[in-house]
Amino acid sequence: MSNLIYEAVNWNKPTSELAQIFWDQQWKQIWFPEEIAVSKDVKQWQNFEHQETYKKVFAGLTLLDTVQTNIGMNQIATYATDLQEKAVFTVFGAFEAIHAKSYSYIFTTLCTNSEIDELFEWVKKNEYLQYKANKIGDIYNAIEEGNQESLWKAMFSSVMLESLLFYSGFFYPLYLGGQGILRNSAEVISLILRDESIHGVAVGFFAQNLFKQFSNEKQDELKVWGYELLLDLYQNEMSYTDDVYAETGLSPDVKAYVRYNANKALMNVGFDAMFPEEEVNPIVMNGIRNEGSTYDFFSQKGSSYAKAKMAPITDDTFDFKNRI
Amino acid sequence: MKTYLKLNNDVLNRYNTTGQLELEKDREATRRYFLEYVNVRLRYFIDIEEKIRYLVEEGYYEKEFIELYDLEFIKHLYKKAYDYNFRFPSFMSASKFYDSYAMKSRDGEEILEKYEDRIVIIALYLAQGDTDLAERAVEAMMEAYQPATPTALNSGKKARGELVSCFKLSMDDSMNSIAENIGYCLELSRLGGGVGVNLTDLRPLGDPIKGILNRASGVIPVAKLLENSFSYSNQLGQRNGSGVVYLNIFHADIENFISSKKPNADDKIRLATLSTGIILPSIFFDLMKKDKDIVLFSPYDIHREYGKRMSEISISEMYYELLDNPRIRKIKRLNARKLYTEVKKAQFESGYPFEIFDDNVNEVHPLKNIGRVAMSNLCTEILQLQQKSIITDQDEPNEYGLDVSCNLGSIDIHEASKVEDFGRLVDTAMRLLTNVSQMTHIKNVPSVAKANRLMHSVGLGVMNLHGHLVTQGIMYGSKESVDFIDGFMEALNYYSLKSSMEIAKERGETFYQFDKSEYANGNYFESYINKEEKEFRPESIRALGNVPIITSAMWKELAEDVKKYGLFHSYRLAVAPTGSISYIRSCTASISPCTERVEVRDYADSRTIYPMPYLTNDNAHLYVEAYDVNAYDLIDLYAAAQKHVDQGISMTLYVTDAWTTEQLAKIYIYAWMRGIKSVYYVRQRLQTLEECVACQI
Repeated sequence: MSNLIYEAVNWNKPTSELAQIFWDQQWKQIWFPEEIAVSKDVKQWQNFEHQETYKKVFAGLTLLDTVQTNIGMNQIATYATDLQEKAVFTVFGAFEAIHAKSYSYIFTTLCTNSEIDELFEWVKKNEYLQYKANKIGDIYNAIEEGNQESLWKAMFSSVMLESLLFYSGFFYPLYLGGQGILRNSAEVISLILRDESIHGVAVGFFAQNLFKQFSNEKQDELKVWGYELLLDLYQNEMSYTDDVYAETGLSPDVKAYVRYNANKALMNVGFDAMFPEEEVNPIVMNGIRNEGSTYDFFSQKGSSYAKAKMAPITDDTFDFKNRI
Repeated sequence: MKTYLKLNNDVLNRYNTTGQLELEKDREATRRYFLEYVNVRLRYFIDIEEKIRYLVEEGYYEKEFIELYDLEFIKHLYKKAYDYNFRFPSFMSASKFYDSYAMKSRDGEEILEKYEDRIVIIALYLAQGDTDLAERAVEAMMEAYQPATPTALNSGKKARGELVSCFKLSMDDSMNSIAENIGYCLELSRLGGGVGVNLTDLRPLGDPIKGILNRASGVIPVAKLLENSFSYSNQLGQRNGSGVVYLNIFHADIENFISSKKPNADDKIRLATLSTGIILPSIFFDLMKKDKDIVLFSPYDIHREYGKRMSEISISEMYYELLDNPRIRKIKRLNARKLYTEVKKAQFESGYPFEIFDDNVNEVHPLKNIGRVAMSNLCTEILQLQQKSIITDQDEPNEYGLDVSCNLGSIDIHEASKVEDFGRLVDTAMRLLTNVSQMTHIKNVPSVAKANRLMHSVGLGVMNLHGHLVTQGIMYGSKESVDFIDGFMEALNYYSLKSSMEIAKERGETFYQFDKSEYANGNYFESYINKEEKEFRPESIRALGNVPIITSAMWKELAEDVKKYGLFHSYRLAVAPTGSISYIRSCTASISPCTERVEVRDYADSRTIYPMPYLTNDNAHLYVEAYDVNAYDLIDLYAAAQKHVDQGISMTLYVTDAWTTEQLAKIYIYAWMRGIKSVYYVRQRLQTLEECVACQI
């Protein structure tokens, strides 16, 4: 038996700035795909013109969320040093698993079994998808115990994945949903997006804290590494977009959206934006509102779930001297 | 892609990114919507004669009401409506009208009605052959009056739903009554109604049945049965039915009832789709103030001992009597403050329960000598007395009491301040509502049909307060705004009473038991007659526009006329939350503040962006959003309006997630102290408004 000293996570003392806040926010917005009536999209789906693109977009997203669950958050949680941050990453990982499963839920609702099998085969064969999965997966797997630089690189990659790579896929359901097409699937995406935006901000924040500990020379070196990785992923993303969106004529719009999100990803890790500002389709932009405008009156779930802050009623509660 | 949607979405996107409004984009969206969507689908008719003939022959319009008028008159009425040169002021109003209200061909491809056509048909249909009223109806609706959705949508159509959609039922403590009322709920839900059911009189969990203790299952399983009934009877799958159940806070099942809406409640007791509301007598607040326990009772004991149901007595008056009576079981003691904290917790987590302040309602109830108001409806603005039906075994006839159906309409405050004759506008609205009530006969719910026949209740309300205040440069919640609504609602009350009196005089008929009402004995008018003439602030007077300030002399004269001729309507005023209808008219909802300067609404077919009416880059600061309005100021404003409303006002409170349960309790207590009768939802920021499902399409 080994003789290690195990330390218990102590939430009574904040050891990491904001860990509690990210934890609370993530749990506040818990959701499950089964709460959304994707079956209401079935009728529209049958006459939908670009089924192939739509399915591929979702299959691609499934792969990214799978990588993020199985490798990304797991690896980061393993090597992060702060116990509260570890807990936050583990929770994030659980949500990634919900996301990956929710695409399957949409497939099961809309597609036949053989179509689904074909799609998962396509994922294995698509060079651009495999390229980004490999690129990021390798960085995740390269984290070494005690090597902060490797951990930072993994966090950086995680932010690129969650704040940038997802968005070439998110574009399509948001674009369609805003026009009343396949609205319920879009609702699932908007819930995923709501989670991913916390993940991007949180992991980016922790990465920034880590980054500050490096020497200036190291920081410069990592910056170059970071921008190079981003450019590499960006080039691949452009090709992926052309490939998947070919029949729809939407490629230019998707690319603009990817650049917009690339800038946001860079800001999340504390780097300067690199693409000039440009106009993004307003319907897609309005789809990112985190307010959850399709509040479900009936299930009372979705974005309205909020925990009350308890405080006892006292004599002062009845005191309105200032008022009357 | 639909370019109008892109343009409409751009309004919000630009506003979010730059803070600047580009309303021309919304106007352009509206223009493109007509070019790309409406005009290409609009069926062309050579003239009005051909239009009417086609729509009647093809079975779109009922022919009976058309035949009450001659063609020349109908043509004249169309011309009158079209002469207003109506234009939809926003993309939201246009798309909402054409999506949901305009008559379309059966396959949905052709649009058969424009806005003016709908107005004319509503007018002809509701006027029932009275040409003078039909003319007035067109004027009123083109200017400042809007019937509620069920009336606006269904009038004149051959395949149509009911003209009213709001009901209240009262359940009795017997299996016959439970079963009968579930049947009513299925029926009313089928008709598209939203139904409120009072459960206060049912015996609680563990009470005796046939003298054997621990046999009764309590109110929650009944609530579950109702919930399932509403989801079954779902308008051909178009939407779920909707209902609310009410319970008195002194009822022994109250704790389960309060937790039933929590999202993490056990599935067996969780009410997922049914709304809940609680009835709070003033004694509850008194006990809470003194930090005392409250005692929970069983309606079974109360009925056995006093021969009255729990909902038929005033708990505030009877509380100590019930405590002292050894034959009334003290089922449970709970600390009032802790219980109320639980209520607040549930409200944070789910928005429910609604609250009805029992004594605030009943103390000023003009029909207090006839009966108590024991509950409210789905939107907490309907407050009318009911009488329990006795549902007997199948071999005996039932004795039907009184339940409630309500037909609603709203006056656009901004437009109303500009009409030449405010009294005439209110009178037209009252007459149209009266006709809706006369044309409604819910034959499968006899207690509702009976009450409608005897009571002639209507609910006239208002909307667009915030919009109007912005045009007048007045801040929502300011002293000027409170002054204004006080004056406006007093005038509305005055003219609605005057109209009801005139109608009673013309018809030689009053509502049932008028002679026992506070109107007949004059008590109702006392505070108005004895009032000190108030100095209105100049801003408020300007904002009132053509709406007259009512003097005590005017009240005195009216009181005498009412005494002499009676009133036709048992209830007249109720301010609904107004969802869709305020969008069509480009108004702000009800008397509430706007929730967002640029609002986002998701409808079945798309996301629509709605900049508040009259909003410009220069007046944006006046459009303070609901979450930024001081909650106490908001309550003061509602309290000023409530004084002049015989029923209720649907009042939503807005909080942020920084609030504690104690802060929330405090504003409710303040509302109770200020004489507010009911509180509808509590909303937190990041949550959007949903509207009364019964009024939704």
